Amino acid sequence: MTAQTKNGGLIHKLSIGFFIIINFFWIGVPFLMALLWSLVDPKHPWSYPDMFPKVLSFGRWEQMWETSGLVEALTNSYTIAPLVALFTVILALPTAYAFGRIEFRGKKLAEVVVLLPLIMPGMIIGVFFSSMLISLELSEPFWGIVIGHTVLALPYAIRILSASFNSVPQDLIDASKDLGGSSFTTFRHVFMPMLKPGLLASLIFCLVISIEEFNIAFVLGSPDITTVPTILYSYLGYSFIRPNAAVISLILVIPNVILMLVIERLLKGNYLAESTGKA
Amino acid sequence: MKTLPSWKLCLLLLPSIGTIALLMGSTLYMVVSQSFGLHNMMGDSQFSFEFWQDSLQDTKLHVALVYSVKVAVFGAIGATIMAYPLVLWLRKPFTGSTAITGMLRAPMFIPGLVAAFLMVNVISYHGIINESMIWLGIIDKPIRMQNDSFGWGVIVLQIWKQLPFAMILLAGAVNSIRSDVLDAASDLGASSWQRFTKIIFPLTLPALQVSLILIFIGALGDYSFYSIAGPKNAYSLAMLMHITSTEFFEWNKSAVIAVVIMLTAIVASLIISLATTPFMKKTGKLK
Repeated sequence: MTAQTKNGGLIHKLSIGFFIIINFFWIGVPFLMALLWSLVDPKHPWSYPDMFPKVLSFGRWEQMWETSGLVEALTNSYTIAPLVALFTVILALPTAYAFGRIEFRGKKLAEVVVLLPLIMPGMIIGVFFSSMLISLELSEPFWGIVIGHTVLALPYAIRILSASFNSVPQDLIDASKDLGGSSFTTFRHVFMPMLKPGLLASLIFCLVISIEEFNIAFVLGSPDITTVPTILYSYLGYSFIRPNAAVISLILVIPNVILMLVIERLLKGNYLAESTGKA
Repeated sequence: MKTLPSWKLCLLLLPSIGTIALLMGSTLYMVVSQSFGLHNMMGDSQFSFEFWQDSLQDTKLHVALVYSVKVAVFGAIGATIMAYPLVLWLRKPFTGSTAITGMLRAPMFIPGLVAAFLMVNVISYHGIINESMIWLGIIDKPIRMQNDSFGWGVIVLQIWKQLPFAMILLAGAVNSIRSDVLDAASDLGASSWQRFTKIIFPLTLPALQVSLILIFIGALGDYSFYSIAGPKNAYSLAMLMHITSTEFFEWNKSAVIAVVIMLTAIVASLIISLATTPFMKKTGKLK
């Protein structure tokens, strides 16, 4: 530890204060504005030069729920996302095991290939995956979106899960085998407890990725299937309706933030396990 | 770590790598072949350079390329420059530093479209910034920040969204520098600036490279930020590609644009690596 000088302490306090002020404008204000806009009463529009909305109510939320395609979009998003999460984790598990616990030639290359979907711009995947589906005469946008999202989520699931596999200490596995445990017993009692947080985290991560993905859902889904991001885009684009966009933004972002906090918790536990183990 | 016979290994890798390779490979194949007139969506398929020649002479593509590259360059550099002081500040844990890191990461959890909307609210013509500045008497009439002709709106948005990402990459590198190296430098009379330029910067260059490259690529091929906060009269590469295929049905030209996006990403990554590598030699004895 370095000693704190008198001025050092002051500078430290000032820097935190400065940070809080800047961050309030950087992150706090944008959110507050969205919240305020979503509460603008439909009958009393908020327009220049009013500093604040005249009437606040949940009217906009009710109106969106009853009259727009929001319910349908939510249904679609929340049907696609669990499917994506399930498929992704099932596909990712064997590879994550190989990455986490097996030494093989070409591992580095395989790890790079897995990252490809992250580098390819989403719109290119959207447009040309759709052109491929058209030329193969497959026109089932729902499954197209599920496949596209699964591929986008795979790199994350593989990374999270291979870290979990990697964190299982070898001596525990050896101990289980020495005591006569079958592969199944070893898996259940040694791997499973260490894998659980990673498994849950990757399921949630895939869910979040699928719910917020825009490009593929936009290109493949239009005009039949709307998801929450595509409906948000429609209110931000040609027909810009700010309060409606605010409502949908909050519907999209609030579950996301909660789910991400859960993941953070889960993965922290996992790292803890990793640091105590002697793998 | 153990080894496995290769057939078992293949079985393990096939489900995910197979899926990724199949989709990425076929998308890439469609892009390249359609740019040369093969697998035509309309009319006969025939190999030709026609679409390349047409597109490369098209000023719309030139404008879109310059615009997208400009935003990507400013976005990547901006996010990285802003990330450095924050990461250095948070290097040593203090009360509340985890909370601050958490706050700073927030934009990463926010979907791109929502981010665009949040920012548009703040920077719009009668948005909070303009109104506050008028109220404070700094300006007489609102400044156009959303859909401005240069594209500052998109650049700020990219920085806002990518800053946490740059921070995570740089924090890994900065936190791995041992304190005694920095203490030794101080003992030898180095100022904070010298410690930054002579030790921290060279040692974090690999992370800097990765962060610049990934943010550049992300911003180059982005669609939603440009279309919401960008100038109304300019198309980014991804926007141009999208309307060329789905509105004008000129799939071949759209494929050419897709190839241009990917080539630009590759060329830019090479330039970034080549431009930063010479500085890494300074690490020499410290490693």
